[in-house]
Amino acid sequence: MDSYADWLRARGDDDLRTLLALRPELITPVPADLGALAARAAAPASLSRALDRLDRFTLNVLEALLVLTQPVTHEMLAGTLAGDPAGNAGTDRSGTDLSGTGASGTGVSGTGVSGADVRAAVDRLRAHGVVWGDDDALRTAPGLRQALPHPAGLGPPAREAFASYSADRLRMLFDALGLPSVNAFADPAELTTVLADRLTAPDDLIHAAGPAAAGALNELAWGPPIGRVDNARRAVRVDSANSPIERLLARGLLVATDDRTVTLPREVALFLRKGRLFRDLTTEPPPLEGAVRDRALIDRTAGGAAFTVVRLVEDLLERWGVDPPAVLRTGGLGVRDLRATAALLDVEQWRAALLIEAAYTSGLLARTGDTDGEWLPTKAYDVWRMRDTATRWAELVTGWLNGDRVPGLVGERDSRDKAINALADESVRGIAAHTRRAVLLALASAGAAPDADAVREHLAWREPRRGRRLRDQLVGWTLREAEMLGLTGLGALSSHARALLSDRASSGRDATNELVKVLPEPVDHVLVQADLTAIAPGPLVTELARELALMADVESTGGATVFRFTAESVRRALDAGRTAAELADLLTRHSATPIPQPLTYLIEDVARRHGHLRVGIASCYIRTDDPATLDELMADRRAGALRLHRLAPTVIASRLQRHELLEALRGLGLAPVAESSEGGVVITRLDTHRAEPTARLYPETAADGLRLSLDPSVITAAVRALRAGEEAARLTAPAGEPPRTPSMATIEELRGAVERGSRVWIGYLDQQGQASSRIVEPVRVEGGFLTAYDATRASVQRFALHRITGMAEVDAPDSSAP
Amino acid sequence: MTDGPLIVQSDKTLLLEVDHDLADQCRREIAPFAELERAPEHVHTYRVTPLALWNARAAGHDAEQVVDALLKFSRYPVPHALLVDVADTMARYGRLRLEKHPMHGLVLLSTDHAVLEEVVRAKKIKGLLGARLGPDAVAVHPSERGTLKQALLKLGWPAEDLAGYVDGEKHPISLAEDGWALRSYQKHAADAFWHGGSGVVVLPCGAGKTIVGAAAMAHAGATTLILVTNTVSAHQWKQELLKRTSLTEDEIGEYTGTKKEVRPVTIATYQIMTTRRQGTYRHLELFDARDWGLVVYDEVHLLPAPIFRMTADLQARRRLGLTATLVREDGREGDVFSLIGPKRYDAPWKEMETQGWIAPADCVEVRVTLTDSERLAYATAEPEERYRFCATTETKSQVVETLVTRHAGEQTLVIGQYIDQLDELAERLDAPVIKGETRIRERERLFDAFRSGEISCLVVSKVANFSIDLPEASVAIQISGAFGSRQEEAQRLGRVLRPKASGGGARFYAVVSRDTLDQDYAAHRQRFLAEQGYAYRIVDADAVLAGDEI
Repeated sequence: MDSYADWLRARGDDDLRTLLALRPELITPVPADLGALAARAAAPASLSRALDRLDRFTLNVLEALLVLTQPVTHEMLAGTLAGDPAGNAGTDRSGTDLSGTGASGTGVSGTGVSGADVRAAVDRLRAHGVVWGDDDALRTAPGLRQALPHPAGLGPPAREAFASYSADRLRMLFDALGLPSVNAFADPAELTTVLADRLTAPDDLIHAAGPAAAGALNELAWGPPIGRVDNARRAVRVDSANSPIERLLARGLLVATDDRTVTLPREVALFLRKGRLFRDLTTEPPPLEGAVRDRALIDRTAGGAAFTVVRLVEDLLERWGVDPPAVLRTGGLGVRDLRATAALLDVEQWRAALLIEAAYTSGLLARTGDTDGEWLPTKAYDVWRMRDTATRWAELVTGWLNGDRVPGLVGERDSRDKAINALADESVRGIAAHTRRAVLLALASAGAAPDADAVREHLAWREPRRGRRLRDQLVGWTLREAEMLGLTGLGALSSHARALLSDRASSGRDATNELVKVLPEPVDHVLVQADLTAIAPGPLVTELARELALMADVESTGGATVFRFTAESVRRALDAGRTAAELADLLTRHSATPIPQPLTYLIEDVARRHGHLRVGIASCYIRTDDPATLDELMADRRAGALRLHRLAPTVIASRLQRHELLEALRGLGLAPVAESSEGGVVITRLDTHRAEPTARLYPETAADGLRLSLDPSVITAAVRALRAGEEAARLTAPAGEPPRTPSMATIEELRGAVERGSRVWIGYLDQQGQASSRIVEPVRVEGGFLTAYDATRASVQRFALHRITGMAEVDAPDSSAP
Repeated sequence: MTDGPLIVQSDKTLLLEVDHDLADQCRREIAPFAELERAPEHVHTYRVTPLALWNARAAGHDAEQVVDALLKFSRYPVPHALLVDVADTMARYGRLRLEKHPMHGLVLLSTDHAVLEEVVRAKKIKGLLGARLGPDAVAVHPSERGTLKQALLKLGWPAEDLAGYVDGEKHPISLAEDGWALRSYQKHAADAFWHGGSGVVVLPCGAGKTIVGAAAMAHAGATTLILVTNTVSAHQWKQELLKRTSLTEDEIGEYTGTKKEVRPVTIATYQIMTTRRQGTYRHLELFDARDWGLVVYDEVHLLPAPIFRMTADLQARRRLGLTATLVREDGREGDVFSLIGPKRYDAPWKEMETQGWIAPADCVEVRVTLTDSERLAYATAEPEERYRFCATTETKSQVVETLVTRHAGEQTLVIGQYIDQLDELAERLDAPVIKGETRIRERERLFDAFRSGEISCLVVSKVANFSIDLPEASVAIQISGAFGSRQEEAQRLGRVLRPKASGGGARFYAVVSRDTLDQDYAAHRQRFLAEQGYAYRIVDADAVLAGDEI
């Protein structure tokens, strides 16, 4: 096995499936064969993404592997990581000799890393396709050095670092280091080897460079091993050096690797580190400690928050449905609108921003139009509103969890020092969804209520290469948002959130079931009091809540709801088409106490005056001094189509346009006039507006890494396609012309091949008359066409039967194919 | 899920279900840190305010107890943010202290350097402070004690006032409990006040606030200045004090429009204190006339603005505020709290009623339908005249007449706003009328006659809103009022709440014109009482006129 591609080819299907599951980007699109897959998997950019998914210990193992000379045996690797010098015995002189740093044996102390830990890490690395080869010859994937230029924070070995130095410059260094002078024709490679040897014990050189220079070296010792200076390549001599950096450059303790960069050679760094590769090496993430609280209390608290957040979103969208805020020209929601919303909901601004963003990512809120648009609830909101609280919560939280928008950024400054608005595009961050899930999973593993810093450290160990500052911010935001959204209670993950985070397909339903247990039981009654308030001693069943909100103003919300009846509120209900009797009936049915008389009077008073005056629409009217004329008109059957309405003995209204009515009346042989409305109560309640729902705002599946993001069937299919491609690549059309067979025989044979599921080699004449040959898997022969899977093109194609010049079966049916 | 009696709302109101088994226990535990806002029949509403939390701190409760009480009785999970907020708010109290320093006099001290810095730099505070005495102390002008406390409260850093009170000029006063005894709640109220130093006692009308004042004076045993609303009220205080305490006629002075006596116990009216001559308040010096050990403010909800200002300077003296309804239509309740002191005692009206300390009252709103001509006149009246118009209709007068006839034999008060209307009514009812221009002596004569039962019906204007002691009035008919004033309504109901010798209940009628401003105002006026649990029944005027049972 001599290449990465060969190793990959030799992997079993299960291994490949694991690889693709871990690195799903490798099969978008599916590569033609395993060779292409290997090329893609070993590319630095792709490897860099793979490394992002690794924890700190696994990365450390990988870095150790990069530092050692490959191939590396498992024992050697384990020995190095365990801090056991004996394990280093195998390193060959051309690579880094960890035992030859002059500090070995004294500086390297046991790290407590066992062989099993290392083996597990190597297996992980192999599964990710980052390391290949067996335990006796471990190698890193080809592009890895580029993806990870400074393993363990170490610069290149002196041999590589000095490669760009001219022979003259090297001789100058030889002089400065007091090495035996060399002749003018010495091979630079040999010179660098001598230099490298000298630098493994640079104690005296560092001493000679002075304390300031030693300080600078120590800065670089634990990486990154490079520093920026102007004009780095200038030639400096020991006697003319007048800055610490120049003194170091003159002694070869720093190497100028380009015009502006100086690099600490690996040998010197290892000397300074006393031979240690890592400052600390832990096989476990830092523990997440925090207050441990009663599970039931956590669930209840979270349940209360979940209930509140659903109610707040409903309040918000109800309000916006009637009175929508405008879309800013730049796309977001104005600061003033955000502030007004916060005041409306009586919450702090960040909470208001979170509610708005959550509604948006859940598809409950959208903008209308491109210019002069408004933020409106969507039709999906109407559906959402009908659901029970737990389901509504699950939908809302799923949107938040998987969305790539970061509500916490609202109000922060962007790169141009402009405040970021809610709902604006500036608050999109690619790692948001991933980090959120990671934080919650960390909480799930903790079982306690750790503080934000503990979570940050934990994540920094789990995925050291992701995020940094943004992630640290996201951790804080996620924790406070999770608390508000009712995923956590008192800082610890609730049972319903745990269910939601699971990989099971039923996670949403499980979460709902868990949440229902802790949500307050909906009540279907209220306590009506003489001070014209009604108190619902718990969350109301949706229908009753809506009716009450129509006829009374909500005065206070929380576990209970306080409604106040006023003349205006009762009028509102009457306007919406309710009658006094209906209102009284509703209250009687749902009141646990007798209806106090003042309320009855209030409703009656308002109802008595309500509709006292009636307003209708009349585009024209008919008037006459002679009621008999109108009697006649009303009795006229031909007038039926005119929708005439007699308002008074001498007045008739019509909804027709005046000219239409005039014409119609003339047609009846009359001379006309008009007015309107059928006289019924007109419902005038303001219609709420709705926007079209936008497409889903978060990807179907969560970000990769923590969860198998691809459907196993997709992965299996991809592996199969790859194998087929491999096969096809191997079995390219045999040399020579494809066989010629008579067409009837061809069709027969093809049918047989379809039945047997075997592969055939066909000769084909395309529309331009160009002859070619393919290897295909026939699927169907019908209607004068052969439908077949062409493995080389990874697609299903149709071939006209009459253009197939001949065929031959290639192999027996593939038994491994399902 | 516990099944507690309390529901904690996100706006920091607490809903207490009264019929719950644990309701009483819960009420006792939340009362120290929550204000009772409404007490209708089924669910009482308390509100947790910063002020209430700080009062709780001042009374020795800590955040732990508050949180415990909330968690213990709450039916649903208490929002975490609310608990945090409670703890934060309570932690703000006591960071700043006002103390007496042997050398520097009054000083503001802090345990938290940053807080002191913030406060010292605040614009409103700067002028009230003297020299800086160190990193954690700053001198305070003694005269600015009240203003400073008020300003600090507004900044959200209430100062704990440990500077104490001046004892004032000693003057022995004791209660003369012969044939009567201090009621338990009166004793509690007086003790709570004395323990707290200064503050307000809220008791329903007729519950004996004067006696609480007397008990407080007995505690103080020092010269006392009593501020009351009017001269009649001043006389009544004097009578009551003579009856209830060891004080003699010579020890009690009256400082009113007619008499200007300054004695160890002096009773002055707000009116005289705020009389201005040539732009200055001539009589405010009364505050400094003696070294008062106690200042009592009767009907503190009526405290006029100049008195507020004077009171700010009196922070070293003990102050007692008495009221039935701490609702001010001008919204200055906060000033009462910071200048007089926090609420030290509060008893819900209905609770007093069940204990028998005040008479049960039946409130009836009589709805009068205007005649067509009255409606037309009302509709065309000038906006500023409209209320007067609908409040003084002829139809109303007829109803009042019928009601008075119905209650013939019972002591009946007819209360109104408009003098013309009252005069006309008095004529119809053949009853004497007391209004602003009625002389003090005449008023007192009429009150005495009413008390003795010589006259059974009295027509009074708003002068009788306060502090007139009419023991046997058992029926009050309100015909018009000062627009939508809630406290006026409560005060007027208070006129009939004194326990009756017969043990019977009282009737309170509000006669209201249907579908007019009158009805809107009435709804607003009744709000306080409705929230105290007085459910108004509504009766149609036709039923009254027809003589139906109501």
